[in-house]
Amino acid sequence: MPVVELNINRIKKLISGQVTKKKIIENLPFLGLDIESQDGDQIRVEYSPNRPDYSTDFGIALGLQGLLGTKKGIFKTNIKKEGKYEIKVNSSVSKIRPFVTGIVAKNGIIDDQTIKQLMNMQEDLHLGIGRKRKKSSIGLHDLDKTSFPLTYTTTSRDHKFVPLNSTVESTISNILTETDVGQNYGWTLGDSKNVPIIIDREENTISFPPIINAAVTTVTTKTKNILVEVTSIDKDAAEDMLSVVSTILHVAGFQISELKITGGKNSTPKLNSRIIQYEPKLTAQILGLDISISAMITSLKKCRLDATQNGKKIQCVIPRYRFDIFGSMDIVEEIALGYGIQNLEPKLSTSETLGEKSVITKKLELISKTVVGLGFTEVLNSTLTSENSFVLTNRAQMGSLSLSVLDSKSQEHTILRDLILPGLIENISKNIHESYPQKIFETGIVFRTPTKYESQHLGAVMAYKESNFSEMKAILQSILKTGLKLDMTTEFPNENSNTEYGTRIFSKGRFAKVLVQDIIVGYVGEINSDVLDNFKIRTPVVGFDIDLSLIFE
Amino acid sequence: MSQVLHDIEKKIIDSLQKKSEQTPEHLSESTELSIDQIRRGIEWLRLKELAQVNESSKVAISLGQNGIDAFKNGLPERKLMDLIKDGPKTFDYIRKTLSGAGFNAAIANAKKNGWVKIDKSDAGSEISIKEKSIETPEEKLISLIGEKSIPEEQIENKLALKFLLQRPDYIIQNTEKSKTVSLSEKALHIDTKLSDTGAIDVEADVIAVHAARTHPLKDTIDEIREIFVKLGFSEIHGNLAQSSFWNFDALFTPQDHPARELQDTFYIEDLKREKPATPIQIKQVSKSHSQNWNYDWKLLEAQKMVLRTHTTCVTIKHLADMKPDEARIFSLGRVFRNEKLSYKHLAEFNQIEGVVIGSNTTLRDLMGIQKEFYKQLGLTKIKFWPTFFPYTEPSLQTMVYNEKLGKWVELFGMGIFRPEVTKPLGITKPVLAWGGGIERIAMLKYNLDDVREFYNNNLNWLRTV
Repeated sequence: MPVVELNINRIKKLISGQVTKKKIIENLPFLGLDIESQDGDQIRVEYSPNRPDYSTDFGIALGLQGLLGTKKGIFKTNIKKEGKYEIKVNSSVSKIRPFVTGIVAKNGIIDDQTIKQLMNMQEDLHLGIGRKRKKSSIGLHDLDKTSFPLTYTTTSRDHKFVPLNSTVESTISNILTETDVGQNYGWTLGDSKNVPIIIDREENTISFPPIINAAVTTVTTKTKNILVEVTSIDKDAAEDMLSVVSTILHVAGFQISELKITGGKNSTPKLNSRIIQYEPKLTAQILGLDISISAMITSLKKCRLDATQNGKKIQCVIPRYRFDIFGSMDIVEEIALGYGIQNLEPKLSTSETLGEKSVITKKLELISKTVVGLGFTEVLNSTLTSENSFVLTNRAQMGSLSLSVLDSKSQEHTILRDLILPGLIENISKNIHESYPQKIFETGIVFRTPTKYESQHLGAVMAYKESNFSEMKAILQSILKTGLKLDMTTEFPNENSNTEYGTRIFSKGRFAKVLVQDIIVGYVGEINSDVLDNFKIRTPVVGFDIDLSLIFE
Repeated sequence: MSQVLHDIEKKIIDSLQKKSEQTPEHLSESTELSIDQIRRGIEWLRLKELAQVNESSKVAISLGQNGIDAFKNGLPERKLMDLIKDGPKTFDYIRKTLSGAGFNAAIANAKKNGWVKIDKSDAGSEISIKEKSIETPEEKLISLIGEKSIPEEQIENKLALKFLLQRPDYIIQNTEKSKTVSLSEKALHIDTKLSDTGAIDVEADVIAVHAARTHPLKDTIDEIREIFVKLGFSEIHGNLAQSSFWNFDALFTPQDHPARELQDTFYIEDLKREKPATPIQIKQVSKSHSQNWNYDWKLLEAQKMVLRTHTTCVTIKHLADMKPDEARIFSLGRVFRNEKLSYKHLAEFNQIEGVVIGSNTTLRDLMGIQKEFYKQLGLTKIKFWPTFFPYTEPSLQTMVYNEKLGKWVELFGMGIFRPEVTKPLGITKPVLAWGGGIERIAMLKYNLDDVREFYNNNLNWLRTV
């Protein structure tokens, strides 16, 4: 979950009402914000990715005003039409990044903290809605450093300009290969020959979306007026982003003016509110909360929405930046939040159904009980194992027959296990300093090779000086008899078979196939010295691994 | 007498009953046991308070090199007296005869004893007898010691000893530590002849043995499963490998959502499910995505197989296939995330999820079930906070107060499935869902700070936790 850092004094100022710091901190979780850490007046909170308006303290202050009751209802952003500002779209962008939208924010005051908050918002929008800038991306510029109209067009990779945080000109190609942002986001442009660019009337480059702005329009604490541009491959996503930015800039004290967009499939953004007709009965049906329509309306207004009674329904007005609201169920949640989750009383209704464990669980429980009764302690290993586990059990080729996962972050978790036994042998190898005898078992899911079907296996090993085949066979026999009322037999294995794992893990002449009702379900035997050597185990180990799914069937 | 005695102990007691206060060496002789056996036996008896060991240190006195010379030939002053018994002698003569330091000592002590007088003449100083010399206490002491070593305390004339000690190399003092053993009051009356054959020392320490047991995490899983059953939920199972369709698409997760990327989810190499769901299910889910998320939904993405990232894929498929009007079901098992392992994150962990469909399915009912669930686990200080899950609305999370950490910790999440999830699958009634990771609860129970401990399979921990 994304994180934003708040200064509680700043928040207090932004809320602009009589409210204590304590009250503010108490209410943060009820906006859906998790307090990650607090250091004096600095608080780090996690917010949900569906609420990018909470990526700044401005947006959080807006929410708190509602919840605390200092300001309720929709926060309106009126867009002033000035006609001065325009972006013309050249049709060449249609194949690479077809959409642009934007807004102008004027007469604001920017301090260092504001710049920090705006950058946090930009990063979050890029990661979330922007899908790492691939889908859409934002640029903020100093309005007074540009001349209108702007043009959104394409250019070759030889095009040169001075990028942000630099003083010398670079070509687009250089920016893509030499800079961090170029390396991180260059992939979004694929290998197209031309790339998108925004230039002003004087043909100065102001932005190379979605990679980097030009240095000339850098926003600083001296900036009074801001130009916001959003480029995108999805028109809705672009306007979603824009709506958040313009709301936040408006809360921050800027006046919002229109930026005309012309050309291609583009149009000037309206950022209009939506209307949802809400059926009040849903409140009782979904929340189990019996409150009046006017109480529902109050709750919605506390969530910074507008609501009025419209006959038997409630007409809700949803500001453009609340694109997380799809329909009535979302309105139900807003009512719950406005009403206060802490005011919802849990209610315990009796179940009309009888609960039951699954048949498999019951059988596994019986087996567990029996195996523990025979003196074995249960261990738990991962289903995802490493290639090394196959190598150490002399089964490197079988590793290649097993299922692998892509791009695992951990080398220990790359292949799905096909047996329980290798994990148990490894457990013994990691406990050589503990007292003997060591007897351990595990039940769990494995992926059979080569069929790749999931099946439930039981494995057990026993390590001590006198351990031997006969004792392990006796134990397995007892497990099947006591736990499952089944008889088993053992059969001399085909010791030359390469596809069966038995010959690789067990000692020649000291292991056998296990059969239940004439079906081979696994092997029991003494682990061979090669495998023990691989694991640096100096104690004799015997074990078995059987497919319970075959037995259950 | 309840005490059981070892043969060694019996022999020592026998010997000490005959002669109290023996050194270990004496005991070794008298009992014919080795000195090691004696030492061990004494230690056992001491712990049983049957014997005590008296440690003392004694100083033994013997003669040094000068002392031995004096013993054989007399003290220097006595030698001097012998030289002048026939008449006065000059210093030069005496110095020549009594070589070295003996000369000064002889003159000084003879003078101190008042035996001699010294006259100065032209030929130098002359020394002659002044008085008859009787045997001094020092001489008596030297004779007494002779070539023996005797305890200091046996020497009566301490003053003589003091004088001799002041003279170099006459007396050697040796400190000897000695131990003697004696019996305690109650041991004096032990009859070691009484038979106690076959009896053992029932009070002695024994080695630790460990009961075989189920894994602590498994115990927590079982406990949670029992509570779900008690609350009226029935268990269902599903595969670990799931199609993206059920793991993501059916749960309204758009195909370009970051959670679906390789770096968060384990995709299985070269494995896809041609027909992940029924044609109607596929069609409806596709439509829901295209309309609500406004993009081109692709079956190819939905066919890719992943290791399930939650158990919700199991419950939603069950609801979509069975369409029950009323049910309480749950699914429990391993889930996977492509995470770097740390003290709080695993790539593979256990999750439980329950769903309720039918009557009494309001958010408050769900909160009630949660409250009861935590009560059964012994957690009574709980509260609810709003949160966000992509496929439920409204969504809440339970916060439980952890006394040890002194703060609220997040446990299970809950919510009502979004209509965008249920409608396309033909589920018409509201579905309440709740669940979460089990390791987190087990960590609270076993006071662990590192979740990896559950999978280390450290036998010492498993045997003793």
